[in-house]
Amino acid sequence: SGAAGLERPQLVLHTQQALNYTLFDCKWVPRSARLLCLGSAARGTGVLQLYELRGARLALLREIEKPKPIKCGTFGATSLQQRYLATGDFGGNLNIWNLEAPEIPVYSVKGHKEIINSIDGVGGLGIGEGAPEIVTGSRDGTVKVWDPRQKDTPVANMEPIQGESKRDCWTVAFGNAYNQEERVVCAGYDNGDIKLFDLKTMSLRWETSIKNGVCSVEFDRKDIGMNKLVATSLEGKFHVFDMRIQHPTKGFASVSEKVQKSTIWQVRHLPQNRDIFMTSGGAGSLHLWKYEYPAQRSKKDSEGAEMGVAGSVSHLQNVTLSTQPICSFDWSPDKKGLCVCGAFDQTVRVLIVTKLNKV
Amino acid sequence: MPVWLRDCRWRQSASAVYLSLPVPGVRVTPSNIFCTDQYLKVSVPPFLFEVFLYAPIDDINSTAKIGNGLIFFTLYKKEEAMWDSLSLASDNKEKLQCLRQDAVLKAHEKAKAETEAKKVTKQKHKRYALEATMKLEEAERKRIEELKEKERQKVTKELELWKKQQKDAEKQNRVQQELLPQEVEQLKEKKKEKMNKTRISNEGTSKTRLQPTKGCHGSSSMFSENLKEEQLPAPRSAATIKINFTSRVFPTPLRESRVAEEEEWLHKQAEARRTVSADMAELEDLKEEERNPDWLKDKGNKMFAMGNYLAAVNAYTLAMRLNNKLPLLYLNRAACHLKLRNFHKAIEDSSKALELLTPPVPDNESARVKAYVRRGTAFCQLELYTEGLQDYEAALRIDPENKTIQTDAEKIRHVIQGSMQDS
Repeated sequence: SGAAGLERPQLVLHTQQALNYTLFDCKWVPRSARLLCLGSAARGTGVLQLYELRGARLALLREIEKPKPIKCGTFGATSLQQRYLATGDFGGNLNIWNLEAPEIPVYSVKGHKEIINSIDGVGGLGIGEGAPEIVTGSRDGTVKVWDPRQKDTPVANMEPIQGESKRDCWTVAFGNAYNQEERVVCAGYDNGDIKLFDLKTMSLRWETSIKNGVCSVEFDRKDIGMNKLVATSLEGKFHVFDMRIQHPTKGFASVSEKVQKSTIWQVRHLPQNRDIFMTSGGAGSLHLWKYEYPAQRSKKDSEGAEMGVAGSVSHLQNVTLSTQPICSFDWSPDKKGLCVCGAFDQTVRVLIVTKLNKV
Repeated sequence: MPVWLRDCRWRQSASAVYLSLPVPGVRVTPSNIFCTDQYLKVSVPPFLFEVFLYAPIDDINSTAKIGNGLIFFTLYKKEEAMWDSLSLASDNKEKLQCLRQDAVLKAHEKAKAETEAKKVTKQKHKRYALEATMKLEEAERKRIEELKEKERQKVTKELELWKKQQKDAEKQNRVQQELLPQEVEQLKEKKKEKMNKTRISNEGTSKTRLQPTKGCHGSSSMFSENLKEEQLPAPRSAATIKINFTSRVFPTPLRESRVAEEEEWLHKQAEARRTVSADMAELEDLKEEERNPDWLKDKGNKMFAMGNYLAAVNAYTLAMRLNNKLPLLYLNRAACHLKLRNFHKAIEDSSKALELLTPPVPDNESARVKAYVRRGTAFCQLELYTEGLQDYEAALRIDPENKTIQTDAEKIRHVIQGSMQDS
C-alpha cells in the first residue's frame, strides 16, 4: 500500500505544545498565524492563551485569566479589523473580548443559567451578509441568539415549553445566511434531537432525532443557501443531511457512517472546500472525509412530492494523535490544510493536511 | 534363493575399471545398485551380484550406465595401479560378512553426512534470504520516510512564506489605516467636487442622462467596509420559539436507557395481563365481574380502606387464582396480612411480589419500595431485626429521600444495638 497510500492526503503533525490547564476550545485568529486556546485552569478559573506559529514551534504571546472557566469561543461575528472574540463560559456568561485590551469585555451578558456548551457566530469576517449575530446553546436547554448591538436581551430564544423536562443543548450552528434576512440555527441536544430554527419566520422549521446524543453540528457553509449539514453523535456515528430539499413529512435525506465505538466530538468543514470535513474522535483520532454527491440530488416520491437523495461519504485518511479525546478542532481560514486540534491530554497540536488539491 | 550373476566381464586401465554386467529380463533402477569404496552389489530380485573390489575406488564419481539388459560400471580407482583381479580373493565367509557390514555402515554414515551437509546449506540459504528481505524492507521504509520528510519540509516552507505574506499584508494594512483619515477627507472632497462637476455638466446637457454615483465606485475596498456598516440591518426584534423534546415511553436518551430491561418489564406486564388461570371448574360459579382480577383488586383495596382486612385478603386470593402473575396483588395482600398480624404470610407475599417485580426499572420503583418496607416491618414484628434492617436499607437504596423509611431504619438500628449491649 506504500505508493498508493502516499497519494492520499496525509495528516502531518507539525508541532505540539503541552499546556498546564484543561483545553476546551482552540481557534485560529483570522488573517494571522496566531491561535487561541481556551480552557479551565486547575484552580477553577478561565484561561485564554494566544500563541503564534513560529517555524516548528508555538510561541506564547499572551496569557489572560478570567474568573470562570471558558468552554467555547468564536470569531464568527466580528469584523476583520476588530477581531473580537466571543466566549461562553461555565457560568453561562457570554462575553466579547478585545484581545488587545482584555481586562474588560466589550459586551457581557449572563445569558444562561448553566454552562454554555457551544457558541457560533455569523455575519462577521467579511463573510456573508446581514447583522452580526452570536448563538449560544446551554445545559439549561435553551438556545439564544444575541446581537452585540443589543444589550442584555437575546434577539431570539428557543426554550422548552413550560413544565416540559429540559434536555441539555450540546451544540449550535448558524446556516443559510445568504442574504440579509435569511438565517437558520441548528441545535443538537443530548437526547439525540436535532432542531432547525428559522430566524426569519421565528419558527421551528424541522426536527429529527438520531437516538444518540448530538455532540456537534455544522453546515458546510454558513453563508450560502443550506446545502449540507453534518451531525455527529455518541457511539461513533455521524449523519450527513442534504439540506437542499425538504420533504413535507420525511424531512431531509441523510447518509450516516459509523467510525468506531467512541464518541465523535467535533466536525469541521474545510473552509476552502465544502465537501471535505474532518471528524475528531473520543479515541484521540482525526478522520478526514469527502462527501460525494449522488447522480440525482432529488427524486419524486409516490405522491409526486420532491425529496432529496443523500450521496455517499468516503474516508480519505485518519491519524491517531492521543489516547484522550480530541475535543476541539479548527481549520485555518487562511492557509488551506493548516489546522489545530486540542485534546484532553492538555496538549494543543498543529497539523498540516497535504494534497488537499488533489482530492 | 537369489540367483547369482556371475558372468560379468571386466577390463581396466590405469585409472579405471570397466565392468559390464548383463542383467537379463529385468528392469534395473538406481536403487538396486549399492556401492561403497570397496564393495559393489546389484540386487534385482531374483538376481544378485556382489563383488569385493581388489582396491578402493572413488565411489562418488564412479558411474553406472543402465540399459538394454546390461549395466556398465565405470569405476575410478583411488590409486592408479593395475589390479591383479576384480575382486579380493577370499574364502573366509566371516570376513566377507564383516566386509559387507562395513560397507553398509559406511554407506549409512555417508548418507548421514550428506543430510547434515544439506541441512547446513539450507540454513545458510534461509539466513541469506532473511537478510535480503530485511534489507529490502529497510530500504522501502527509508524511502517512505524520506518522502514524508520532504513533504513536511515543503509544507513548512510554504507556511513560512505564507506567514511572511501575512506580516507584509498587515504592515500594509496598518500603513493604510494611518493614512485613512486623511485619505477619507481628501476623497470626500474629491467626491463633492465630482458631484458638483457632473451636476453642472448635466444642467447643460440633456435631461435623460443618468446620474451614476461615480465617487462611490472609485473608492477602495476599505471604504466599502464602512459603507457596509451603515447598511447593516437593525437588530432583530426579539422573539421566542417554544420547543418540546422527543417523547419516549421511558424518557431517556439511548445511552441512559436500559432498553433491554425496560422492554422485558413491559413484556412481562403484558403477559401477566393475558394469563388466565386454568382452574376454571370452581370459577364457573363466579359472576362476570368477579372473573376480572383488576375488579377484584379494586374490591380488595376498598375492603382494606374500610378496615375489613379478611375480606380484602379473600378478594386478592380470588384474583390470584385467576391470574397469579400480578405483583400488586401479592403486595396488597401482604399489607393486609401485616394488619392481621399474620407476619409469616406477609413475608411470603412480599417476597413473591419482589420476585415478580424483576427486572428492576424506574417504572416499578414505588412498588418495590413498598414491598421491602412491608417485609421489613413483618421481620421486625417477628423480632428478626437484622433481616428487617436489611429490607429497610434495600428500600432506602431505591428511594433515598424518604424520611419515614430513614427514621424507621434508624429505630431498628438502635434496637439492634440495644439488644447487643444487653446480651
